[in-house]
Amino acid sequence: MWHKISWRLLKHELRRGELTIMAAALVLAVCAVLSLSMFSERLQAGLMERSAEFLAADRVLRSRGGEIPNEWLQRADEEGVASARRITFNSMAFANGDMALVDVKAVTDGYPLRGHLEIAEEPFTQGVVADGLPASGETWVQGSLFQQLGLALGDSLEVGDMTFIVTQVLSHEPDSGFSVFTDSPTVLIHNDDLAATGLIQPGSRVNYNYLFAGEPQALQRFESWLRPQLDPVTQRWQNIQDGDSPLSAALTRAEQFMLLASLLGVVLAATAVAVAAQRYAQRNYDAVAVMKTLGGRTRLIARIFSLHLFLLTAASVALGVLLGIILQAVVSWYVSAQLGYDLPAAGNGPYLLAIGTGLLCAVMFSLYPLLRLMKVPPLRVLRRELTASGLSRWLHWALAGGTVFLLMVIYSGSMILSFALFIGGILAMLILLGISRLFIRASRQAGMQAGSSWRLAMAGMQRRSRENSLQMLSFSVAVMLFLLVLALRHELLEDWRGQLPDDAPNYFVVNVASHQVEPMQAMFERESIRATQLYPIIPGRLIAINGTPVRDEVTKEERDDSEYREGFGRELQLTWQRDLPAENTIRAGRWFEPGEAGVSVESQVAERINIGLGDELSFRVGGNEFTVPVTNIRDVDWNTMQPNFFMIFSPELIAEMPATYIASFYLAPDRRPELYQLFRDFPQASLIDVEDILQQVRDVINHVSLAITFVMVLVIAAGGLVLIAQVQASLEERQQELVILRTLGAKSKLLTQAVSYEFIVLGALAGLIATLAMEVSIYVLQTQVFNMPATLHWRFWVLGPLLGAGVVALLGWSVCWRMLRQSTGQLIRKLS
Amino acid sequence: MSLIEAKSISRNVATTAGELQILSTLSVAIEAGEAVAIVGASGSGKSTLLSLLAGLDLPSTGEIYIDNVKLNDLDEEQRAILRGEKIGFIFQSFLLIQSLTALENVMLPAELAGTKKPEEQARELLGKVGLGERLTHYPNQLSGGEQQRVAIARAFIGKPQILFADEPTGNLDSKTGARVEELLFELNREFGTTLIMVTHDEKLAQRCDRILRIEDGRILEQAHVA
Repeated sequence: MWHKISWRLLKHELRRGELTIMAAALVLAVCAVLSLSMFSERLQAGLMERSAEFLAADRVLRSRGGEIPNEWLQRADEEGVASARRITFNSMAFANGDMALVDVKAVTDGYPLRGHLEIAEEPFTQGVVADGLPASGETWVQGSLFQQLGLALGDSLEVGDMTFIVTQVLSHEPDSGFSVFTDSPTVLIHNDDLAATGLIQPGSRVNYNYLFAGEPQALQRFESWLRPQLDPVTQRWQNIQDGDSPLSAALTRAEQFMLLASLLGVVLAATAVAVAAQRYAQRNYDAVAVMKTLGGRTRLIARIFSLHLFLLTAASVALGVLLGIILQAVVSWYVSAQLGYDLPAAGNGPYLLAIGTGLLCAVMFSLYPLLRLMKVPPLRVLRRELTASGLSRWLHWALAGGTVFLLMVIYSGSMILSFALFIGGILAMLILLGISRLFIRASRQAGMQAGSSWRLAMAGMQRRSRENSLQMLSFSVAVMLFLLVLALRHELLEDWRGQLPDDAPNYFVVNVASHQVEPMQAMFERESIRATQLYPIIPGRLIAINGTPVRDEVTKEERDDSEYREGFGRELQLTWQRDLPAENTIRAGRWFEPGEAGVSVESQVAERINIGLGDELSFRVGGNEFTVPVTNIRDVDWNTMQPNFFMIFSPELIAEMPATYIASFYLAPDRRPELYQLFRDFPQASLIDVEDILQQVRDVINHVSLAITFVMVLVIAAGGLVLIAQVQASLEERQQELVILRTLGAKSKLLTQAVSYEFIVLGALAGLIATLAMEVSIYVLQTQVFNMPATLHWRFWVLGPLLGAGVVALLGWSVCWRMLRQSTGQLIRKLS
Repeated sequence: MSLIEAKSISRNVATTAGELQILSTLSVAIEAGEAVAIVGASGSGKSTLLSLLAGLDLPSTGEIYIDNVKLNDLDEEQRAILRGEKIGFIFQSFLLIQSLTALENVMLPAELAGTKKPEEQARELLGKVGLGERLTHYPNQLSGGEQQRVAIARAFIGKPQILFADEPTGNLDSKTGARVEELLFELNREFGTTLIMVTHDEKLAQRCDRILRIEDGRILEQAHVA
């Protein structure tokens, strides 16, 4: 029987505002969380898949200490992880009576595990995807070697003891690498031919790279098994998010941003649920009192209203899921079309997260109002002022706070971050509450000086100061979150785009001989090619720090490691500069004085091998050894497509040593066919095409911008719902006031103005407070979370109050509009 | 024993200015089938007396019995059940549930009590109060008089032994009030209900068997109407 009563009440309730707002907020939260997490999971998986192509695998084990035990590969196989081996070393190659230093790459079947090789008939032309690897006795070589050795397809190329037939131009290798110092053209051969070259001898400088690919769980299992066994000096386990790719920073920031923004959206939606639930409960106080008076038992009445909540939640969650699936399908379809490949499917995680969030918000934020509703005494039928008693407000705050904290933990996955956000949020709320009260008091005083509708508006604000300051708080939070997301989106995109403008260098030229520096600069100028300066490169090794020798990469003799310090374990590309390069900033110390001998060390390297200012570093360059003090520690932005260096010397030390030169430059894609012609006069120089890497990073940025815009829409919608819920909540009291004022003869125009002014002032103040709060939050986020420089947003100081006033006034006015158009008689009847 | 009996009841409430006594050691007994009017100035304590006699509230001291059941011993839930079984209510502000139609409002007490198929009975009662044509109207689509008639039909659906009416015509104009008054007494006779009515209206009070005049929380006079 009770469910019939419940259903009847619900039918009518649905036509009123509160339940619709609650339903809309829940639908929005579920739909947004589902579509966003699904989309982000798919995008992430898609990007990882694409990014894996840069490694030619999902994970790479780099070993400088020789081959790894066979048992490791067997283990990978057992775990269902595919593997392949790539061995690279430098060697001389001979053809047509000429020779060149090449990078020999011998690979096993299955290579590349991710991405693909592309081959072409002509150097520097668009290739086609290769099917398989070079056959035994054949080789595929990079275009620049054709240029250097005057090769043609079908020519012979000698490498070590073996002669290969060049059968294809290798136009694209997925793992050509981010390091621009792979300065020699690649000669790709099959691993089966490696032994016949006779080039692998004890002591040879050979890089063994083991490629692995498989399902994430299988990789995870293999990784946890393998990691403890790795030698930290000679072996390095690498994946795309390890921080040395230009993608990783963008990906990490985007992920953090989306997480944070969707959490904010959910909290806003939950606030809307709470406000609407409160209002819904209050409106049913009379109904509950009457039911109790007429003999209804509390348990029965609780069932009647719980059923509303249950049906509302179930329907909203279901609708949210449905809309979420449709929305993300549309977005994914669009993104896939833009990307040119299908995004991988998402797992069950997003469904669990979305449904869980919806249920949590619905139950936890409406529980307290519902409990209060059940506490309404029957005596209210005679004493109208009675409301629920015996239920502490602390319970409300505990439930709401606990839920928000739980959501934070779920979304951030970090207890510490959640705790910091939570405490910060509470403090911010208290401060905002204080400020709003102050503002309301101040505007009341200001309003006293003004005309009658202003005075009425300000008096209204003052009278409802408690409700209004809470209302203003939620207006402020809604506007603040909106501004925050807007500003952050702008900052993030600007930051990324700033690093990679459309004309960011897309080629590196390396191995430029010193006598070719001037002709090349002249060529750049003549051809209007924007290039960086040509930096000298001198290969050298760090051999000691403060007199203590560093460990070298190949250890042929037994020695006690404790006598050695950690070093690079490999040859370094050293350079010298008179001035600090543009993309570098000094973190500690100072730039070289003229005539001073010193070295500038990149900050991450300094940290890794524990070098500080004033330390004495010893280097071996060519046959010379020398020792210099560290003059400064330098931050380098590795995400820019510029030549960057770990060690920069003052000119005095190595300027006279033989060097090759490097530069990066931008060549518009439509000028690509000119490359061969442009560099014909520089046969020793090698070109490295990084357009692919750039394109990939731009792809990430574009898709992340899309996702961010999507999140912004969510936050705006959720904020809008909070505002509507709040305005609706204050409607009844306004109604009473309006009746009184109307009865006393106030004209409609005056009342409309008073209501509008009240909302304008509330909105503008909320906007101002929001801007202030936004600046503080963004400062914290930029400096603590996103590792970006902090910025001020002057435009928002105008935009915030205007936006607040505009939106709040519009919403308030549209909700009150119908009320203002009713006759006094209608209003009185409604109130009675 | 009388149907309703209040023995030395008082009701105090805590205010910011200290404890305020609304009713002081008041005793009253009401017999089955009797119609009693409680009259008095505003703030005299008549609504408080009504709330205590109806079991909506409990006295600070003293005892109240309805049909030999001591209300003081019952908790909120048990009193609700008792009200559902024995008591009907009519209020000055009608207190119809806005989300329910006239018919649904009338059915509500029966449904809360778990009565099967209360619709027929509700239709019949609404027919009796002259609203047979307005079953599906919501309260805000009805006039004040019509709303009070719905409330009367609601009060009688559970065939209560006792009917409490708080200023039943207080919100109505005199013509409508007279019609509602007529209806109330007519149904009261028909159902043989004990009526306890709070009113300002002397004329209305005169239609009852007995008038309790309250002042400052005490019964000033108990007059039997001739």
